[in-house]
Amino acid sequence: MFNLSSLVQKAQSFIDPTQALNISASDRNPAKSTLFRHQFRLPDSQTPLQEITAELTITPPVAYSPNATQGEKDKDRDRGYHYAGKLHLSESYLCFSTQPTSFLQTASTSTSSGFTGQTNGAGPGGNGFTLPLCAIRRVERLHSQSYQFALAITTWNGLSNSTSSETSKSPLLVQKIIIQLAGTRPACERFCDGLKKGLKSGVGEVAKLKRVVSQCYSEYLLQGEGRKEATPPDAGLGMIFRYPGDAKKLRDRSKMRLWGEYLRDYGRNVTLIRQPTFHKLIRVGLPNRLRGEIWEQTSGSLFLRLEAPTRYAEVLAKYEGRDSLAIDEIEKDLNRSLPEYPGFQSQEGIERLRRVLTAYSWTNEEVGYCQAMNIVVAALLIYMSETQAFYLLSTLCDRLLPGYYSTTMYGTLLDQRVFESLVEKTMPILWDHLVKADVQLSVVSLPWFLSLYINSMPLVFAFRVLDVFFLEGPKVLFQVGLAILRINGEELLDAADDGAFISVLKSYFSKLDESAHPKSENPKLRAVTRFQELMVVAFKEFSGITQSSITEQRVKHKDAVLNSIESFAKRTSIRNLGPDSKRLSVEDLGALYDRFFGVLYDRQMRSQIIMDEDERRAKASRSKAAEVVSGLPENQIIEKGRVGLGPSPTQMDYDGFREFLASMAKWAVTDSPTPSEKDSPVTPKHSYFGNSVRSRQALISPWGQGPEPAEHEFMQRLFRRWDVDCNSTLTLQNVVTGLAHIKGKGDIMGTITYFFELYDDDGDGKVDREGILRISEALLFLSRRGLEGSLTPSSSSVGLSEYEAGNPGQMNIDMLSGSTNERFLSSVSAFIRRCFEYADPDRPENQEEDNVPDENPEANNDAFGIGEDSDEEEEEDLLDLGPDSSPKRTKKPSGVSSGIPSPKDSRKLPTRSASVAQAEAANAALDPSKPLHITLPTFRMVVLADELLEQFFESSFPASFRISDKIPTPGAGSSGASLTTFSNLSFGRGSNAPQNGVGVGGSTAGVVPPGKGIRGVLDNIVSDGMRVAAEVRRRVDEAQKEMEKNAVPRPDEEDEEEEIVIGPRNPGDSERRSVRSEDRDLLEGVDAEAISIRGSEGVVKVTQESLSPTSGPDAGRLRSASAASSKVLEFER
Amino acid sequence: MAEATAPKPSSSVKLVLLGEAAVGKSSLVLRFVNNDFQENKEPTIGAAFLTQKCNLPTRTIKFEIWDTAGQERFASLAPMYYRNAQSALVVYDLTKPTSLVKAKHWVAELQRQASPGIVIALVGNKLDLTNESASSSNNLGDDSEGDATEGEADDGDARKVSTAEAKSYAEEEGLLFFETSAKNGTNVSEVFTAIANAIPETSLKGARGPGATQAASRTEDQSRVNLTGPRDSAAKDTCAC
Repeated sequence: MFNLSSLVQKAQSFIDPTQALNISASDRNPAKSTLFRHQFRLPDSQTPLQEITAELTITPPVAYSPNATQGEKDKDRDRGYHYAGKLHLSESYLCFSTQPTSFLQTASTSTSSGFTGQTNGAGPGGNGFTLPLCAIRRVERLHSQSYQFALAITTWNGLSNSTSSETSKSPLLVQKIIIQLAGTRPACERFCDGLKKGLKSGVGEVAKLKRVVSQCYSEYLLQGEGRKEATPPDAGLGMIFRYPGDAKKLRDRSKMRLWGEYLRDYGRNVTLIRQPTFHKLIRVGLPNRLRGEIWEQTSGSLFLRLEAPTRYAEVLAKYEGRDSLAIDEIEKDLNRSLPEYPGFQSQEGIERLRRVLTAYSWTNEEVGYCQAMNIVVAALLIYMSETQAFYLLSTLCDRLLPGYYSTTMYGTLLDQRVFESLVEKTMPILWDHLVKADVQLSVVSLPWFLSLYINSMPLVFAFRVLDVFFLEGPKVLFQVGLAILRINGEELLDAADDGAFISVLKSYFSKLDESAHPKSENPKLRAVTRFQELMVVAFKEFSGITQSSITEQRVKHKDAVLNSIESFAKRTSIRNLGPDSKRLSVEDLGALYDRFFGVLYDRQMRSQIIMDEDERRAKASRSKAAEVVSGLPENQIIEKGRVGLGPSPTQMDYDGFREFLASMAKWAVTDSPTPSEKDSPVTPKHSYFGNSVRSRQALISPWGQGPEPAEHEFMQRLFRRWDVDCNSTLTLQNVVTGLAHIKGKGDIMGTITYFFELYDDDGDGKVDREGILRISEALLFLSRRGLEGSLTPSSSSVGLSEYEAGNPGQMNIDMLSGSTNERFLSSVSAFIRRCFEYADPDRPENQEEDNVPDENPEANNDAFGIGEDSDEEEEEDLLDLGPDSSPKRTKKPSGVSSGIPSPKDSRKLPTRSASVAQAEAANAALDPSKPLHITLPTFRMVVLADELLEQFFESSFPASFRISDKIPTPGAGSSGASLTTFSNLSFGRGSNAPQNGVGVGGSTAGVVPPGKGIRGVLDNIVSDGMRVAAEVRRRVDEAQKEMEKNAVPRPDEEDEEEEIVIGPRNPGDSERRSVRSEDRDLLEGVDAEAISIRGSEGVVKVTQESLSPTSGPDAGRLRSASAASSKVLEFER
Repeated sequence: MAEATAPKPSSSVKLVLLGEAAVGKSSLVLRFVNNDFQENKEPTIGAAFLTQKCNLPTRTIKFEIWDTAGQERFASLAPMYYRNAQSALVVYDLTKPTSLVKAKHWVAELQRQASPGIVIALVGNKLDLTNESASSSNNLGDDSEGDATEGEADDGDARKVSTAEAKSYAEEEGLLFFETSAKNGTNVSEVFTAIANAIPETSLKGARGPGATQAASRTEDQSRVNLTGPRDSAAKDTCAC
């Protein structure tokens, strides 16, 4: 029965190798290198380079006699133990492990079934060795007839005492192992070549090895009797404060003797060879002074120490005096870690504990410090030096107990879930009882796992469990846990609630040293303690619990556990958001949380993938060695950033913010989602004009699956406004507060004020000319995809309302969108006009001369130019203005708000003379040389004066942040759909309810044939654009004719129209505001724009500017303001 | 308390302790259950479970106390422990303002996630480190916890959270409120008694006490509790009836 089940397991382990210790995306297909490292407990730097079938022959050490004859050597080989298995070579280790089939010797102890597989990653269970190459002193190729290819390996065993007395008369005992390689000749040669290379590079490490092993107690133990050094190596606090338990009762002396013999015969510390006796000796409990060293050896932390022996001291030195949250937490617990052990009532013990915990918290800041670590480390420190404890703690946290102590403790929770499922499987009756009695098992079992039974059982017994745990891995915790429940099964079935359940187990633990069968007649049976019984049940009865079955269960439950952690984290974090969050609904907060962390997670994943990709490429180009078994390290970290796994990013940078907005608001989606147009994280301000293409051929879009976000000065302002801590990142709290102020107020005045404040840079309650223009730009930016919420039909749309009822044919759409655009554009232009009209002049005192306007983003004439472009009336005013303003030119004012006119300005002024006389105030306001500003009341008044703007602030703007529902799919959302959404809304068809899908499901359906995909969408954008453009051109032409009657264009300027246009439309990009365009007259701007529209290319431009993205050559430029102007020209007529 | 002559109705009440690490949750329980105090109590891993009876004039309440781990990362385990709890002690350290913030988080969590009608008591522990401490154990206090030394500068008063602040918060949220010292036992049993009294009769398992006798017990208890505890418990009682 037993054999069958273990066979089945073996078979499974071959079929489904889901057997890694660490839980990651690679669970189902763990990398071979990971398994290899776990199998031999090697540091992460090691990868399997070579492997070959081999037979190991171990002989007891012989006196070193280099002159021995060949015959003698052969004789050596015939003696001793033979093991068939596989020999592995990594960068600096030579490892051997027996094949499952050769495990007969240990099969009865049931250890073998746990970790028989070659690469099941369970730990060094098999017979064999893990030998650092630097510990090999000599390798000889044996020439003999009986073996094809045999190597005799001589190790540095007993190195440290041999150096002290090289010329000692007593012959040195030399450890020699013989390995016969079984493979084709080339394979053997290749292996030997690899070994040779490794040995050469290992030569330099010998000194390090010497230092490391000198701290091992075994070296001291095995020194010749007469030559004992005065001070033995540190074997833990127990040397000072006595080891727990009664040494006599524990039979420490005889254990020590047995271990002494074993270590002498089969190698000590790094050169130790695992044989069946080794496992048995561990099972009966380690002797006090060797316990730490064997823990170190079996867990592999010895190899970690060998790799970087000085790291512990370095970390302590580096962070000395530094403070952290983890350190605060550590300090709280120092006095309460195994307080009953005398060593931890002393300063010495406390100091050691402090240093180890602190050093680890610095090396792994993600974990930092978790309660229970103090107990575990305190326990380790009884048996090992602090240096050893430090490395062993690393091994524990990183390998043996993955995720146990992380900030979310997902590993603990996951293993609790696994434990429950194992109980359900192995003890169904008990499980049913637990379910019925509503007893939560993990309430009892969680501390067992988290503190490795140390504070559940009496210490002496907990250490016995640890002995096996370090050798055999985490499955031991499960086996012991199951055995505890099994042994107490009947009593537990009587326990009706948590309390009774707990007290049954409590009393059991307190009686572990008592006889398991006190009433037995058989004295032998009577001598069996409860603890011995427990061990037998754990490892015999539950031998079926293997590393692979646990891994399988972990994989199965992982998602559920992570999800529940995440939903808890979400709940907690939302609840702790503070008073501002109350303005948003719970659903909104939830959705906001998901969005926020979704973006962060996606971004981290993407950057990880891109990084891995780069790394992979670099690696591929670096090494061409076909034999490198490529581990897939990226798989192990690919899930970084997931909230449930531990510390995840909580800070959102500006690019993340853009992405976040784009997932919520359609205006934040870029107009030109060309894959080559990359946003540069370094200089995001310039990326809006994405035509400066830096073509990167990354396979993965930096924006992932979502819509590519736009870049606009408004978004920057919003980011800065929300970033109340001014650290250029946003937290969830920042985002919630920010949105709460926009969406949560629900009154128009609040929104208007908010908007105004966004543009009131210095917080003095004034927004200058530049600011006004920027506001208008932002309004156009925000509305370019249409507006959210219902806008009541106004006079202009009434005329078109016939289309509403009718079939929204394509031509109609053009008309509709055109007209709504125009309506809003006109509102904005009216807004600008009124702003200037009612603006207050700045005091002239602080005006100063400044001839380099480009340098000053505040002073920008071009932006001013747009503003005027957008309104014909203004233009007329300006024409009138010429003579008045020319005297002021000499002052060359600039100041906070003013643009700086260049000399050319005055040159043009006379040409404007033929204009209609308008309000003087407005004239003055428009004069770039005259600084002016609006105040909040003015702004409010101006907004409220316009029905459309009022609606915008009342509902559209707050509603444009769609927290709870998704915006339409990227393609439709950023293009075709938006065109029609605009028109739909303009007819007041939409309600205040979320507009999700209105555009898509409505008239767009006619525009974008379903199934045509992105390509179709793009086609439609272009054709839509053309149609609209044609319409606009028609109107602009009319306007032009009209204008030509009134205004006097300057034909000689026409050829420079491009610059004129480009300059001002670069919000936030001061360099682009060239001097040339600086001094362009507004009128000319209008002219030029109007004229440019006549050209076919111009048509495309206008289209994209005013309506939606196109793939035109100038796609990156959103020249909304100028587009507005050209429309207005026509519209106002 | 009152001697039990005849068998009184007995019912068990699940109580959970929550609060920041090292505020003295386990010490409060230890004081209540064993009338004992340990200077260096091992941190609770996961949770500890203890029981203690509380004799009221009319009934006996058996507290099933779940003492939870305080470290932040254990917070996600808490739902496992406060599941079905009828009462909760949310403990803060009155020498540590941040612990009150954490306590408020716990209160909010309990109010939203725990079973409805849960009786919550807010407890400021380590009263012995302040001046008001009746037994004036300040001099002894210093070696107990590191916190004691912080406030030494001004006549040994380490208090950083004023009674008024915590009390007004407790009133706002409808919590019982106490300041205690697990070290010298001040107010500890009072907390548990007040909770026992505040548990609505209806939510007790196998409760069958008539309302009349309960009223009597309430007044009796009130007289004792009033000094430190606000009228919340009374309010709670009346609402519950």
